[in-house]
Amino acid sequence: MQCSSDCSLCLGGDAGLISLKNFTFTYKNGDEAKLNRASVDIKAGQFVLVCGATGSGKSTLLKALVGLVPHFSGGTASGVRTIDGQDFSRAMPHETAHLIGYVNQQPEGAFVADTVLEELAFALEQLAIGRDEMIRRVDAALAATGLSELRNRKLFELSGGQQQRVAIAAALSAGQKILVLDEPTSALDPLAAKELLEFVWRLSRSEGITVIVAEHRIERLVGLVDSVIIVNNDGTVSQGEPQTQLAKFKFVPPLIELAHQLAWPKVLLSIEHAAEEFARSAPHTTKRIAHLPLGSEVLNAERVTVDYGSLRAVDSVSLSAKAGEVIAVMGENGSGKTSLLWALQGTGNRGDGRISVAGQDPATLTATERLSVVAMVPQQAADLLFLPNLGDELDEADEVAEAKSASTSQLFEQFSGRIDPSIHPRDLSSGQQLALVLAMQLVKNASLVILDEPTRGLDYAAKKQVAQVLRNLASSGKAVIFASHDVEFIAQSADRVIQLEAGKVIADQPVETALEYRADNSLASQVAQITKLPGVIALQQVVTNE
Amino acid sequence: MIQKLASKIHPSTWWVISLALAVIAGSATSIVQTLSVAALSVLLILVFRENAPWARSLKFYLILALAVVVIRVVFRIVFSFSQETDDILLELPRFELDFGLGAIGLLGNVSAPAMLGALLDGSRLAAIILAIAVANTLANPRKLLKSAPGALYEIATSVSVAINLAPQLIESFARVRRARGLRGKGRKSSTLNGLLIPVLEDTLDRSLLLAASMDARGFGRKSTQSKGELLLARVLGLQSLLAITMGVFVLLSGFSAPAAMTLLAIGAVTSVISVRLTSRRNSRTSIARTARTPIDFAVIAACSVLLIVHFAWAVMPV
Repeated sequence: MQCSSDCSLCLGGDAGLISLKNFTFTYKNGDEAKLNRASVDIKAGQFVLVCGATGSGKSTLLKALVGLVPHFSGGTASGVRTIDGQDFSRAMPHETAHLIGYVNQQPEGAFVADTVLEELAFALEQLAIGRDEMIRRVDAALAATGLSELRNRKLFELSGGQQQRVAIAAALSAGQKILVLDEPTSALDPLAAKELLEFVWRLSRSEGITVIVAEHRIERLVGLVDSVIIVNNDGTVSQGEPQTQLAKFKFVPPLIELAHQLAWPKVLLSIEHAAEEFARSAPHTTKRIAHLPLGSEVLNAERVTVDYGSLRAVDSVSLSAKAGEVIAVMGENGSGKTSLLWALQGTGNRGDGRISVAGQDPATLTATERLSVVAMVPQQAADLLFLPNLGDELDEADEVAEAKSASTSQLFEQFSGRIDPSIHPRDLSSGQQLALVLAMQLVKNASLVILDEPTRGLDYAAKKQVAQVLRNLASSGKAVIFASHDVEFIAQSADRVIQLEAGKVIADQPVETALEYRADNSLASQVAQITKLPGVIALQQVVTNE
Repeated sequence: MIQKLASKIHPSTWWVISLALAVIAGSATSIVQTLSVAALSVLLILVFRENAPWARSLKFYLILALAVVVIRVVFRIVFSFSQETDDILLELPRFELDFGLGAIGLLGNVSAPAMLGALLDGSRLAAIILAIAVANTLANPRKLLKSAPGALYEIATSVSVAINLAPQLIESFARVRRARGLRGKGRKSSTLNGLLIPVLEDTLDRSLLLAASMDARGFGRKSTQSKGELLLARVLGLQSLLAITMGVFVLLSGFSAPAAMTLLAIGAVTSVISVRLTSRRNSRTSIARTARTPIDFAVIAACSVLLIVHFAWAVMPV
């Protein structure tokens, strides 16, 4: 396949159609097909959401559209892939690079250049476009994406949201009419995520670009999409209208769950419509969130400060946590959430301040002693896992903690059910890895549990499970602190919300206040935005009148 | 303004400046000369450096340069070859060691000329280090790789990607080490499986991610080239290697200088043709201006003048 700069396909009027027909894909050692006779047909200029449970093959479907599956994954594939009516079933990704742009989950890990300009030029360089034409096209792409002022900036200086935008602009700089995005907002705070998706939507509308996006937090997209593709766990795929598709999908956002709960005749896909429907339909009773009675103080931190060189990451933060309490720490990327959590855990950098967990300063304890005081689940739980199978990991955890044998595996079973101990820990789902690390850390019955972004990459069902585990920990008398961007998860699990900005606590409120509906509150949960009632933020608070 | 000028200078020009300074430092005959080279190098770095990862290493070069001078002087004091009698600066007790291989003198008198000589030697090496630091801190390695011929494009890209991955590797190393601290030490945990395996897995994942992203953006596209042309390029490449090897062999054996030169010339010409032919296979363009500008030529000319003046000074009868 050749493409010259005057190739009609790149700039053609009706470009942007893409389809898969009877696409089946099996990993090399897999016995079940990851994609099973999947057929999707996407029209030019459509905005398409791809959803499915964790591990269902959403990413595989996207990669199949781009050609990365099977060429970059191994395994065997059969079926037909067409772009703009042409058959590209056997084509390598670079052969269709002028037609389709792809941005994966971590754009910062996929940058090849060091400035915005060069990053955008990369695809054009590969297509052998002359320098003057290249600069013209890069500038056009920057203008279309509103990034002109970043043109000569260094990539590592940009914020997460800006990096995502640059990655998107770079994927479209060669005039590609199809954009494939794999979970573009998973690392962004709520405001940045909202801005990014609106940006993609505007881009799609103004430039007529076909957008195919996989996203766990469907609530961010439901109002924007033209079509929804659901990838089922057995590898089959269905495509259709958002309304009908989401009505039958199991892992749905509160917006849709509320419609089910209140038995509305049809599913409404925008918050505004749902709010109107809620106001119009019969009055509902609402309940208060059931907070547990608080026990004794587990954590007391006073004026904790963390410095990295001249940068003050955490600035004189004081907080206390009582038994039975779940606290969410929110804040933009870089606001000091992770630094604060590690300081509380005791191994993190701490410049100043005093921390006491159950009467001891965790920084003065050894790793084994610390396990009976504080449990910590880091952002990438898999970092703790290194043995070749689950059984060994569980035994090792017992031994290190000097706990009775099989105590870790009992805990793990409580959190995630029984799992074959011969499985490789890397093959566990992210939810199971989280449960495993939580079990390892809790084996000595620590009274404080800390989790850093526990819901990254989890679907609604897995998130509900994690929320339940956290509630159970609290009711067994532990204090739980976690950092998260996920408003809906916080609404389900937390009692209190602490907001950080530039290392300082700017708000410390009950969860009903932090996430409730107010005109200026960007953290309002979906239920809050629909009900517009003070203090109502979670599904279980809304009850139909019988 | 200065930053703009710096980014306009071709990376290879920084290397020309750097090597010119290093040559002057290497043939310096007085401490004044070596000190001026060192000062000029540091000044260049301070004025032109950008805010980039490779530009932050000046401190390390300065420490290394200082260490070289100190070590040279200490060695001169500890190991003295002869017992001096004039211009004594320092009188230390002298030890003679003999292991049957001739006597080695330790400590003893230290004379002013010996000290000066040691200082000159040390500062010469230090100045060379700082001169090389100019290129290392000011020349953007990625831009330099961009000006590599097309045949080397894949290698150049791999190197520049590796430069990108290095800081990420350090970051994932720190992250995994911190996570390790959560688990305490068990029978099965060792540095190998506790630290290296997660870091390597992480790095491998990232590399695959990057490779996939690059391919999806067109990396690896090749223009059609006739099989004959490709074969010719490979044959010529092999032939040039042979010619150069034989040329070096003949040159070193002292058999015949003209024959050696002829062989080397043949090797050089055929290798250039081979690289040119292979480069045509990769039809790519570049947004970076890799051509040298008049500024570059002016700087190179200035360097040449500096070198000529330096050597003319050296041979002039004083």
